[in-house]
Amino acid sequence: MTRPESVSFRSLSMLIALVSIVSYFALYDAAFISPRNLSQLAIETASTAILALGMLLIIVPGHIDLSVGSGVGLTGAIAAVLTLHYSWPAPAALSSTALFSIVLYSAMGFVIVRERMPAFIITLGGLLIFKGAHWLVIENSTVPVVQGGQSNLYSLLTTFYVSPRVSLILAALLVVALAAGAASTSRQRKRQGIQTDDEQLFLRWFVSAQVILLAVLTMNQYRGVPLSALILASTAFVIHVITQHTRLGRHLYAIGGNEEAAIISGVPAETAVIAAFAIMGTLVSISGFLQTAFAGASTTTTGQLMELDAIAACVIGGTSLKGGRGDVIGVLFGALIMATLLNGMTLLAFTPETKFIARGTVLALAVWVDVRLSRR
Amino acid sequence: MTTPSVLETRGLVKRFGGVTALDNVDFELRGGEVHGLCGENGAGKSTLIKILTGVYAHDTYTGEVLIDGETVRLESIRDSEAAGIAVIHQELALVDEMSVAENIFLGHEPTRLGLVDHHKMYADATALLGRFDIAVAANRRVGDLGVGQQQLVAIAKALKSDSKVLILDEPTAALTEQEIDVLLDIIRDLHQRGVACIYISHKLDEVFAIADRITVLRDGTTVARLDACDTDRDEVIQHMVGRRIADLFPLRKPDPGDVALAVDALTIAESRNAPPRLKGISFEVRAGEVLGIGGLMGAGRSELLLHLVGFFGHRVDGSVQLLGQPLALTPRGCVDQGLVLVSEDRKRYGLILDQSVTFNLSLSSLPGLTRAGRVDRHSEARICGDYAKSLQIKAPNLASAASTLSGGNQQKVVLGKALMTKPKVILLDEPTRGIDVGAKREIYDLINQLTDSGVAIVMVSSELPELMRMSDRIMMLSEGTVGGHFTHNEATAATLLAAAMSTSHKEQAQP
Repeated sequence: MTRPESVSFRSLSMLIALVSIVSYFALYDAAFISPRNLSQLAIETASTAILALGMLLIIVPGHIDLSVGSGVGLTGAIAAVLTLHYSWPAPAALSSTALFSIVLYSAMGFVIVRERMPAFIITLGGLLIFKGAHWLVIENSTVPVVQGGQSNLYSLLTTFYVSPRVSLILAALLVVALAAGAASTSRQRKRQGIQTDDEQLFLRWFVSAQVILLAVLTMNQYRGVPLSALILASTAFVIHVITQHTRLGRHLYAIGGNEEAAIISGVPAETAVIAAFAIMGTLVSISGFLQTAFAGASTTTTGQLMELDAIAACVIGGTSLKGGRGDVIGVLFGALIMATLLNGMTLLAFTPETKFIARGTVLALAVWVDVRLSRR
Repeated sequence: MTTPSVLETRGLVKRFGGVTALDNVDFELRGGEVHGLCGENGAGKSTLIKILTGVYAHDTYTGEVLIDGETVRLESIRDSEAAGIAVIHQELALVDEMSVAENIFLGHEPTRLGLVDHHKMYADATALLGRFDIAVAANRRVGDLGVGQQQLVAIAKALKSDSKVLILDEPTAALTEQEIDVLLDIIRDLHQRGVACIYISHKLDEVFAIADRITVLRDGTTVARLDACDTDRDEVIQHMVGRRIADLFPLRKPDPGDVALAVDALTIAESRNAPPRLKGISFEVRAGEVLGIGGLMGAGRSELLLHLVGFFGHRVDGSVQLLGQPLALTPRGCVDQGLVLVSEDRKRYGLILDQSVTFNLSLSSLPGLTRAGRVDRHSEARICGDYAKSLQIKAPNLASAASTLSGGNQQKVVLGKALMTKPKVILLDEPTRGIDVGAKREIYDLINQLTDSGVAIVMVSSELPELMRMSDRIMMLSEGTVGGHFTHNEATAATLLAAAMSTSHKEQAQP
């Protein structure tokens, strides 16, 4: 979508950053690269990455959403209270909370575009309001996602593992599907008389297949692929299709690149931004369920500061805060870097104060490198 | 020997990648003269100015720059300033929120004990303004001044350090007739004081009014150096375009069909409670016809077009019909009905600069390219390829960012985006502004092809030759009202200009 050379250059520098962070932790404690910890890392990455993917859709058209951390807390809390206090079946609680979140975020998007209010201010209001609502819902107490000793769909979100055998079958199917996709692309291009680079298509497929198989084989050595990782993968796929293959995606990039030109070209700018906020609402609830389930209960600190992690993941992944630039792969890398840092530092028993300073430093460094690279 | 040269270049060659922007440019500015620099866009004027002002460092080009006969190395803007060269750009680099004095001394504030010495700054500014007889108070906020006064402040700013060479790059683009006269007087005054000026303008009348000598650049080389008293407009134009003006425009053979766009008694205000910006505008365009719209800057031409596509202002009164149907009030609705705008300001209203040529070309036509919710990238690539080929868009490839293209090719991308929607009516706002002669001719040919295929065109243009040669009928706007309608044969430069200014006296009588 953007200039191909700069994108691959940026991806490469992110890959180097990630590899150095992983090697650092692995050298200090081999447990870091144990299958058990890597499975854990996948689960931890999921909630941040899903939120960051939603943030991508908001930042690309040039907006921002500061409310999502509180949104995560609020949606996790509502679902927990519905299941535990009102004894709703978990699937009903989760789906109605998700629906509520979609309506809430669409409304916020509507106010932003229709009343021409800055997203920064509206969502800052959202941050405070949702936080208050969250604490109100759980009455400042701790609300577990399930009665002690039992399990339901809510708690299984972060505790269920797809069995190694099924994981392997899924991975194989995915690899075959990717190959079929690449073959179809090559065929289509030939039929339309466009140049096709089959070597590059093959290489891309080969690398993806390697990464998928390696990840699955590693996690299979523990208990299989965590459900959270599957949810993240599906979300990433959907957001990738939206950004790269749909009109909505085109419209969001056009709005972020030059809103006036986009509108004159017939882009329905208001509808597109409201749609982005609606998708954000969906992802906030999914992230909220995962985050809350991971902690086992909704507490007053659930989701705290996650909006900043999500924005940081986008920015580290090369998303421009001015809008018009950013992609799913970059955001996944960014989220992985943030989650890896936190996981590794926790494993090595860093103090909370060091963790904050280290994460802030990495964010600033990443943006500095990006600015330097794009200035060339 | 005549007066020695204060500034001279010998054999300047400047390349950008494979493109040669300047090829052996010899330029000479004598002490105290006003030297007109003429050339089409892309001829190399701005590149030459950027070398003289140190924007391009010495090592990035070959050839010599001499000041007072000595070879100099200009490595930076500061070097050039120190050598006594001052420049006033087309876009004024003034901060609206600051006062005149603060603007004049921006970056060079006089200080005392490390703090800005406001007394000295205002005193110096007042003295400087007085020296050039500029009647503007040093403590006025620049944003409150008119464009003409701002221009004068910019000149004072440029001349604060006793420069001996002043470069004026299109200084009158945004000025009224009166303000232009004041500016020309100031330049004549500087001339008396021995400041040499390089005066760059598209308006040859101004150049002839003020210049002693004229250098013409074309395709990066010096093609002529003339004494202003020995030459005339036509000779200069001939040097600029390298061919006769008659060859610039293709012949029009109009064959009007049914009415495509009918505008009746349209009154438009900027917003709901604002006074009307345009009043009682009525016109029709038929299929296969070009309606030209002319007028002075600020007459409301661009606003009219932006309003028609649903982007500007509030409709107080009147109606617009496209092929007998009321026209939608949103840009999306207009595109769907078959009305598109190709704006004069392609960077602002035309292009998503960071995105690819393909992205930009298909942006208005995505509904037709969507299959099962997904944009069919393969047919998109094929169709965009076809348009790029037929419009002869020159780009490294269609995945290149639009920002990397030249002005003419960017304009073709905006046109291609409009054409891909298969429009019935195209609104063209200054379709050839800022593009070179060859690309102009291609766009005129395209206009003819489009009208031959039954498209109606409304073309706003500030260039009278373009307006008179390419329009089948002409409507002049004057301060938001219709100043007159003309057929192709009735239109002469004199009648059009009279119509453009027809209401200004009435308006001035009752402010």
